[in-house]
Amino acid sequence: MAIAVRGLKKSFGRHEVLHGIDLQLAAGELLGLVGPNGAGKSTLLRCLIGLTAHSDGQLTVLGHDPASAALLIRRRCCYLPGETSVYQTMTGQQFLDFALGFYDRRQDALLAQLQQHFALPLRQRVRSYSAGMKQKLAILAALAPDVDLYLLDEPDRALDASMRFCLRDALLAMKRAGKTIVLSSHHLREVESLTDRLEFLVDGRIVPTAEFEAARAELRRRLRLRLRPGCQLPANLRVLAHDADGALVVEADGDPIACLLALPRDQILGAEFGAVRLEELYQLLLRADPPQRAAEVSP
Amino acid sequence: MIAGKTWREIRVMALVYLLILELLLVPVILLWPDFYVDLQRSSLFRNLPADWMRRIGEGWGDKNEDIAYLNWLSAHLFFKGVNLCGLAAAVLLGTALFAREREALTFEFLLARPVSRAHILWAKSWPTALCVTLPVFVANWSAIWWSARIDQPVPFWPLTLCSLHGALFVLCFLAFTTWVSVLSRVQAHVAFWVGGVTILNIGIYLVPRLRHGSVFRLSDYDSYAPLLLGNQGLVQMFDPIHHAGLSFYLVVGTALFFWLALRALRRLEL
Repeated sequence: MAIAVRGLKKSFGRHEVLHGIDLQLAAGELLGLVGPNGAGKSTLLRCLIGLTAHSDGQLTVLGHDPASAALLIRRRCCYLPGETSVYQTMTGQQFLDFALGFYDRRQDALLAQLQQHFALPLRQRVRSYSAGMKQKLAILAALAPDVDLYLLDEPDRALDASMRFCLRDALLAMKRAGKTIVLSSHHLREVESLTDRLEFLVDGRIVPTAEFEAARAELRRRLRLRLRPGCQLPANLRVLAHDADGALVVEADGDPIACLLALPRDQILGAEFGAVRLEELYQLLLRADPPQRAAEVSP
Repeated sequence: MIAGKTWREIRVMALVYLLILELLLVPVILLWPDFYVDLQRSSLFRNLPADWMRRIGEGWGDKNEDIAYLNWLSAHLFFKGVNLCGLAAAVLLGTALFAREREALTFEFLLARPVSRAHILWAKSWPTALCVTLPVFVANWSAIWWSARIDQPVPFWPLTLCSLHGALFVLCFLAFTTWVSVLSRVQAHVAFWVGGVTILNIGIYLVPRLRHGSVFRLSDYDSYAPLLLGNQGLVQMFDPIHHAGLSFYLVVGTALFFWLALRALRRLEL
C-alpha cells in the first residue's frame, strides 16, 4: 500500500477538522479527492506529507509514519500546496532549478512536454507572471521530480480549460508510468475521467460510496430548464429552485427524458440534464448531519 | 540550495551594510586630530552627569594620545558599528528569514522539500550570520589603514578581539530575531517585537541603577575599551568565572535563541 490511513483525526485546538478518516491507496493508483471548501482536503494532504501532525489514528505513507519519518517520505514524494507557492524575486528558471535541485532524478520528458505546452517565459521574474502562470510554474516544480508519490492540492486552480487538459494528459502519462497520485480538485467531471477512484470528503469525513452514488442518482433525475414565460409544468416535474440566470431546477418523477419530451417543444428555450453539478452534490451530501448519514448507509 | 538562495537575497544588503559601516568609520578617524586638540581645551566631557559618561569623556581626553585614540575608536566603532548598524542589519535580515516566507505563501513549499527543518534553519541562518558579522570585521580592520593616515597605530589582535565580541553581540540579536521570525506570521510583527525589546533595553541602559540589567551592558564602552587597550584577552572574554566573560554570555544567548528557533520550527504546524 502506498497510503494506509485508519481512523485519522486532526484537531486544531478544540476544533476537530478530520473525524476519523479511513483511506487506502495502492501503489500506481490515482485517487481523486473531492469536497467543498473547508472539508479537510488540504489538512489530509498535509498530514500525509508530515507538515501537520495528526491527533489520532494510524497513518502510513510509503511504509513510513509521517509523524516520525517525514523526511523519508518527502524524499520519495512531491507535494503541490493548495496556495500557489513560488518565489517572486526569482526568474521562472531559477525557481525551477531551485525546486528540482532537491531531488536526485527528474522526469525530463514530462518536464519538456509540459514546458512546451505551458510556454512560460522562464527568463522573466516570477513577480511579472499572472496567477495562472505562477500555478503552471508550481505544477512544473511538483510534477518534474521523479518520485513515487505525488500529492497535488488543487493543481488545476487558476488554469484555463486547455491547460487543464494538458495537466490531465500529464497526470495520465504519470499514471501509466506507475506513479501514485492523490489529486484534490473541484472539477468533478475532469477528476472522475482521470482517476481510478474518487473519494468525497465532506465535513472532515469520507463519504461512503453508497451514499455518494445515491446522491448522484438523485441528481441525475434533475433537469435545468429555461422555459418561455407562462409555460405550465406537468405534474411529474417538481420545481426545486429558481436559478439566478432564470433557469428552473426541477426534479422528475420518473424518467427525466420522458418528462422533458412531454413538454411542448416551442416552450423550451434550453434544457440540461444528466450533469452533476458539484455544488448540488455538496448540498445533498451536507443535507443530513454526519451521524444520520452514517446510519442511512449502514446495513 | 537554500543557503545559496538566502545568500542571493541578502548579498546586496550586506554590501550596503558594509559601505555604511565604512562611511561612519572614516570621518571618525580622520577628524580625530582636531577633536583631540579641542578636547584638551574643554572640560565638558569631564563634567557629564552620569558616571559612565564621565569615564568615556576622561578616556577620550587621556594625556597619552595613543590611549585616548583607542578609547575614542572603541566608543565609535562599536557604538555605531555594532549597537546601531549591526543591530539594524541583524533585525532587518533576521525578520525576513521565516516571516517573509509565510507572508509570501512560500513557507509550505519550503517545508515540503526533502530536507529537515534543522537543515532549513541552518541553511538560512549561516549566510545571514556571515552577512551581519563579516562586515563588522572588515570595517574594523580597515580602521588600521585609515588610522595610519593620521599616524595613529591600532593593534591588530586587540581590534580583532573587539570585532569578535561585537560580531557575537550582533549574532545574538540575529538569533533572537530568527526565533521571533519563526513564531510570527508577518514581518512587521517581528520588527515590532524585536524593536520593542531593543528600545526597552536602551531605556534601561540609560537609567544608572538599572543599566546592568540591559543587554547593551554586554556591548558598550566598558566592554570594548579594555579589549582594545589590551587589558583583556581571549581567555578573559570567554571566562565568566574568573573574569567578566561577556563574550561567553553572548555565545550562550546565541545558542539558546537558535535552539528556541529550531524547537519552534520543529513544532510548527501549517
